[in-house]
Amino acid sequence: MLFNSLDFFLFLLIVFSLYWFVVYKKINLQNLLILAASYVFYGWWDWRFLSLIALSTLMDYLVGFRIYQSKNVSIKKRWLWVSILFNISLLGFFKYFNFFIDSWVDLFNSFGYQMRNTWTLKVILPVGISFYTFQTLSYSIDIYKAKLKPTKDFIAFAAFVSFFPQLVAGPIERATNLLPQFLNKRTFTYRGFSYGLKLIIWGFFLKLVVADRAAIYVNAVYNNVENHDGLSFIAATVLFAFQIYGDFAGYSLIAIGTSKLFGFDLMTNFRRPYFAASVSEFWTRWHISLSTWFRDYVYIPLGGNRTKKLRWLFNMFITFLISGLWHGANWTFVVWGALNGIYLILEVQLFRKKRKGLINILLTFLLINFAWIFFRANSIEQALYIIKMIFTSPGRLYIGSGDDIAASLYATLSIAILLLVEIKKEYFNAIFSISQNKFEFIRFVGYAVLIYLILYLGVFGESQFIYFQF
Amino acid sequence: MIKKEFKLSLIKLAKFVVIFLIADLVLGTISKQIFFNQKTGKYARSTYAIKDTDSKILIFGSSHAHRHYVPKVFEKELGKTCYNVGAEGQQLLYHTAMLKMILKRTKPDLIILNIDENFLYKSKVAYDRLSDLHPYYSDYDEELGPILGLKSKLIDFKMFFKSYQTNSTVIHAIKYYLSPQIDYNGYRPLSGQVKSVVDESEEILIKEYVEEIDENFVMGLKNFISTAKNKGISLLFVTSPTFSEVDHSNNISYNKIKEIAGKENIPFVNFFNATQFKYKHELFHDTSHLNNDGAQLFCKYLADEIKNRNLVESKKSEY
Repeated sequence: MLFNSLDFFLFLLIVFSLYWFVVYKKINLQNLLILAASYVFYGWWDWRFLSLIALSTLMDYLVGFRIYQSKNVSIKKRWLWVSILFNISLLGFFKYFNFFIDSWVDLFNSFGYQMRNTWTLKVILPVGISFYTFQTLSYSIDIYKAKLKPTKDFIAFAAFVSFFPQLVAGPIERATNLLPQFLNKRTFTYRGFSYGLKLIIWGFFLKLVVADRAAIYVNAVYNNVENHDGLSFIAATVLFAFQIYGDFAGYSLIAIGTSKLFGFDLMTNFRRPYFAASVSEFWTRWHISLSTWFRDYVYIPLGGNRTKKLRWLFNMFITFLISGLWHGANWTFVVWGALNGIYLILEVQLFRKKRKGLINILLTFLLINFAWIFFRANSIEQALYIIKMIFTSPGRLYIGSGDDIAASLYATLSIAILLLVEIKKEYFNAIFSISQNKFEFIRFVGYAVLIYLILYLGVFGESQFIYFQF
Repeated sequence: MIKKEFKLSLIKLAKFVVIFLIADLVLGTISKQIFFNQKTGKYARSTYAIKDTDSKILIFGSSHAHRHYVPKVFEKELGKTCYNVGAEGQQLLYHTAMLKMILKRTKPDLIILNIDENFLYKSKVAYDRLSDLHPYYSDYDEELGPILGLKSKLIDFKMFFKSYQTNSTVIHAIKYYLSPQIDYNGYRPLSGQVKSVVDESEEILIKEYVEEIDENFVMGLKNFISTAKNKGISLLFVTSPTFSEVDHSNNISYNKIKEIAGKENIPFVNFFNATQFKYKHELFHDTSHLNNDGAQLFCKYLADEIKNRNLVESKKSEY
């Protein structure tokens, strides 16, 4: 079920009403309702994949106990590996099986061995598998690290794994943050309700007005590269930077806001990332739940920065390489991850002080955009072609044809609104605020106008969110 | 305590909804004013066709209608006023909706529908582009409801909001306010010539359909015919000239349209592969569209055909 569909609105209304008006007295019943609702939400796409979530839930629930109860560290470790291997295998099979087979075949063929590819399977990628496998993994790892005790409440645990607001595209929650919330009573407050709705409204603005508008131009250029020149690729890449931000940050805000309506607090996932003055700062602002996941479960276990410098740089690079692969089974994502790793290594080598100022913000934006080319391109060859065209053949700027022209203008207008809001939040937050204004009338009018703008400028085609594919 | 919070939330939510509805009404009314005050551009043309035209010959169809039918030629040859209601990229459901709205107010003598061979094939964009009709919903809900309902079952709910009715129209209004788009009774001529040797690989053809019949489009065509017939208006189906030789004998959509036209006794004038036009690069803007010279010539031939078939009572031109 898509957030940007009327199905979801009806679903949310029903679940919200049952949650607070029918089963509100018993926390177990509330959790059961969330579990059932989450399975309906997920099954709306493809009910067959519910078995995967159920299996992953059961496995980590049982393994969590084994890890906790084992006295012997090596046995604890063994059970941890069971969880890791199970979840990674699940991810590996559904997401990467064909990618690795194809890559092996291509490798052999490139050495002159003619190999026929007969092993690839027709595997459909289950929506959100990368998110919930990471979430369940964090549960087992945190128990192993003695940060968390396993819960006996299976319903609460299953609801934590499948919690519908963040099930398919995050934020990837840690068991240490979210699971206790399932075990404690939630209370309804006007403050939480109102804050949740505000986040949802701004999330929809980011998705329907910013991301989906930009997507029209981006797709027109990136899906038809042979007919475009360097200037168009620059424009499309910059627009893609806002498309993916609006799409993903929009989803996260809707997820966080929806959770608020049910009395849950999810972690912040984006903090105005394009105001970062360095790539390392960018990664503290972009997809925070994933970058901290990789920091805690990959980078630090590898030794982090408490090791020799060369090893430290290697740890950074390998973490970003894996992060790239996590995003998709395509070499474009691997290169994107590697590029970010290289940026960080260069920053460590070249700059000692924390960077600040507009020049550094623009430079960071430029570097991030360069990496986005690989992220958005359909293949490595296409990305290289685009880069070549940017540097050698600026040509003319495609402004769209027919309705596309209007789409480009709408995208520009919506990004201008977004930037104004973010500049205000980043630098002048204390001056004036609509969302926190002491006058209720101003707050209400501000959000009424925002909804108006969504309905007036938004794209209403029930488009998918980009991160569903990851 | 919780009850108090619920009560507070409900009261605040109700207040917010009232403020939003007022904002929607006020800003929506302004948006509608902007929309209906456009002087040029596609919305200005459709608004004129719906609200003002009393022309005796009306032309419907996609870009082939919009770019090929020169009202002045029909007016001169047939002595009847003519308006081109053709709209780029639009398909049968849109044309049927436009016809229903126009016929609510006026009764022309002849309606020409320019047939695209793929009109009946499944096409998502054909549904998406029906959003061009949203601004007219408040005044024509009876005519538009069943057609827009094919796209979304909750159309009444969505159209309750004025902001949604005018979604995605403001840039268009600003654009054509700053740079007016000239048309001649709905016709916009194309200039330039198709290359003498056309490299088809250079042509970017975006296929906007799947080769399966969409029953809604079949119903749309039948509805178009019955709407005109019920008002006693003559109908004519025409296919436009093509630059290259085309073979639509196995095109299921095209054959179905011909079959329906035959059953309903609708005259059908076929200019596909017409020798007067085929491979005459000086008459074409691109391989699919005539330039102004081609359009003038095509309309002259078509006017003669209309006269020969006595489809309208032609009188000496006063134009």
